[in-house]
Amino acid sequence: MKKIWLSTRSIQIKLFPNVGVYARSSDVFWLAFFCLFLLFLLLWGAAIGSYQLSILKSWQIIIAPELAPEKLVRVVWEFRLPRLLVAALCGAALAIAGVILQSITRNALASPGLIGVEAGASATMLVFVVIVPGIIPIFLLPVFAMIGGFIVASCVWLLSSLRGYSPIRLVLIGVGITSMLSAFSEMLITYGDIDFVESALMWFGGSLHQASWSQVKVMMFWLLIAGSLAWLCFRELNLLILGNKVAFSRGVDNRKALPFLLFLCVALTSASVATAGTLTFVGLIAPHIARRFCANRHGALIPLSAVIGACLVVLGDSLGRSMFAPLQLPAGLVLVLIGAPYFIVLISRLRKA
Amino acid sequence: MRSTVETHRMSGFPVARVTGVVLLLLALVIAAFLHLSLGAKEIDWMTVWHALFDYNTADMDQVIIRESRQARLIVSVVVGASLALAGVMMQAISSNPLADPGLLGINSGAAFFVVASLLFFPMFGQGYVPVFAFLGAAFAALLVMMLSGWEQGSERLVLAGVVVTALFSAMTAILLLIDQQGLEKVRHWLTGAIGASDLKKLHWVYPYLICAMVGCFALVRSLNAFHLGERVAASLGVNVLLLKVSGLALVVVLSGCVVTVAGPIGFVGLVVPHVARLLVRNSYAWLFIYSLLIGTLLLILSDIAARVVLSPYEINTGIITAFVGSPVFIALVLGRMK
Repeated sequence: MKKIWLSTRSIQIKLFPNVGVYARSSDVFWLAFFCLFLLFLLLWGAAIGSYQLSILKSWQIIIAPELAPEKLVRVVWEFRLPRLLVAALCGAALAIAGVILQSITRNALASPGLIGVEAGASATMLVFVVIVPGIIPIFLLPVFAMIGGFIVASCVWLLSSLRGYSPIRLVLIGVGITSMLSAFSEMLITYGDIDFVESALMWFGGSLHQASWSQVKVMMFWLLIAGSLAWLCFRELNLLILGNKVAFSRGVDNRKALPFLLFLCVALTSASVATAGTLTFVGLIAPHIARRFCANRHGALIPLSAVIGACLVVLGDSLGRSMFAPLQLPAGLVLVLIGAPYFIVLISRLRKA
Repeated sequence: MRSTVETHRMSGFPVARVTGVVLLLLALVIAAFLHLSLGAKEIDWMTVWHALFDYNTADMDQVIIRESRQARLIVSVVVGASLALAGVMMQAISSNPLADPGLLGINSGAAFFVVASLLFFPMFGQGYVPVFAFLGAAFAALLVMMLSGWEQGSERLVLAGVVVTALFSAMTAILLLIDQQGLEKVRHWLTGAIGASDLKKLHWVYPYLICAMVGCFALVRSLNAFHLGERVAASLGVNVLLLKVSGLALVVVLSGCVVTVAGPIGFVGLVVPHVARLLVRNSYAWLFIYSLLIGTLLLILSDIAARVVLSPYEINTGIITAFVGSPVFIALVLGRMK
């Protein structure tokens, strides 16, 4: 039997027939707790909206759609559920990307938007929406946005390893490239056709109003592949956070591990940016919230922050739909609004301690 | 003995530096003439000269220059000068080569407060706009300080700035979504538009601006000492805390004024001090003078580029400065950070 030790002092959980996972009981408890919370948020999100339901009713409709009236089934299954699931999946992906980035840069303020993925994807999207509209079909736009994100992220990586890689340089060059690209995007926004620009602006804010089941499938695919690969790297992350030398002495070569981890991070970020626009603030705060429950044990931190990230985006999207009811605020903006004050308090406390 | 001191003083007359200032002033005048003559309609230099010194209202070209381009030139001069001073001051008091009011979120904080005041407190006269901008800038500066602390490295300061910028621009975006009509009015201004500005806005801010600029030059001696290190400065009798607080207040006032007049324009405060430091190194008085001139020159040139590059359209000046400034930022990171 293969044994995976997430930490010492732990209990065994049987995930698969031949794999035993050993984890701390507190980690297991918090993970289960936040999973339940996520479930509750999903039910609540499916219940609220312009057609109000009770939470119990939405539970019944999701569990047994054939028993409920057809109109309600359509509202829940065709409009609300895919949107909620896309929100949850994007949140999870970004949170994992955030954990990876904060660990490899050893910096609490790093977020997945910083390495240029977000700006690259947005600029590509705008070019195809505003300058050459109609040259590629709408459903391929996310793919192109993703390619753009990848290209920009690799430019950042190449520039920062030009004269010897250092985490500080990676982050700062990301900031520089991001501001250059956002100047470009702003130029397109100011001079583009107003109709195209409006839809682009909604997308920029991190809006999920166009979510569909096919997007759920695509996101699920990316999250499962890249997310589980990231989780399997938990030992490398645990060591890398202690410094390159320590990691090297324990058999983790950062020249090999870093590009791979960064690649995972970019894949997760660009997939969710292409689906839901700029939500990357989740990647900044979800890992911090998760760290309060399981510190830097990445074996537990990665799944826990994924679940917390999912909770945050679902919460942000549902609040954005319901706060100013006919008007929909994009989830990304709501998230910044609730996340940033918390984050500022958190960081200033950390500094004092 | 005495005579050597005298000769030292004599040879201490900074010929090279004064020459540099004169050359920069010359470049500035040429750039100003270019600014007035280039644009949607090209006007020859003679007409520009006549418009300035021998104004004739019957000539349409002269009217264009006096009524629209002249105001724009004055706004660019004021904005460039105050951004450059704010940049030098910011980099001096944080001992950080990457500090810039735009990059650190101070501009976006001021912008958010201005937009919010226009929406929620329309009963205050427009003369209060700069006050709101100062409040926003000060608030953002405090947040950045809380997130990074004075003694942290550049990287932490810049990242704190990124977070604060994200916060304020999200809040501004929400306000603009809630009040859709407001979007059209404010959209240009929010990317740093000299063209949307006019001399009336300048009248709101010039008392503050003059005070802040004088204040910058008043701090020169303490800044020179502070440049040698915090301890040395303290031992030379400089009140370091007071210096930092008043420097920050000056930055807040300067960038608040700029935001009121022309919207958040980034990167001028980052680039200009570095260019100026290539020319002068050891004296903050000269650094301020050179930065003032170079900042003005940079902004006039960017404003020309903004009007000429995509000729029938105008690009906002803030976008041009970001295009110029972010490569410089990257080069600084590559060259300086070890």
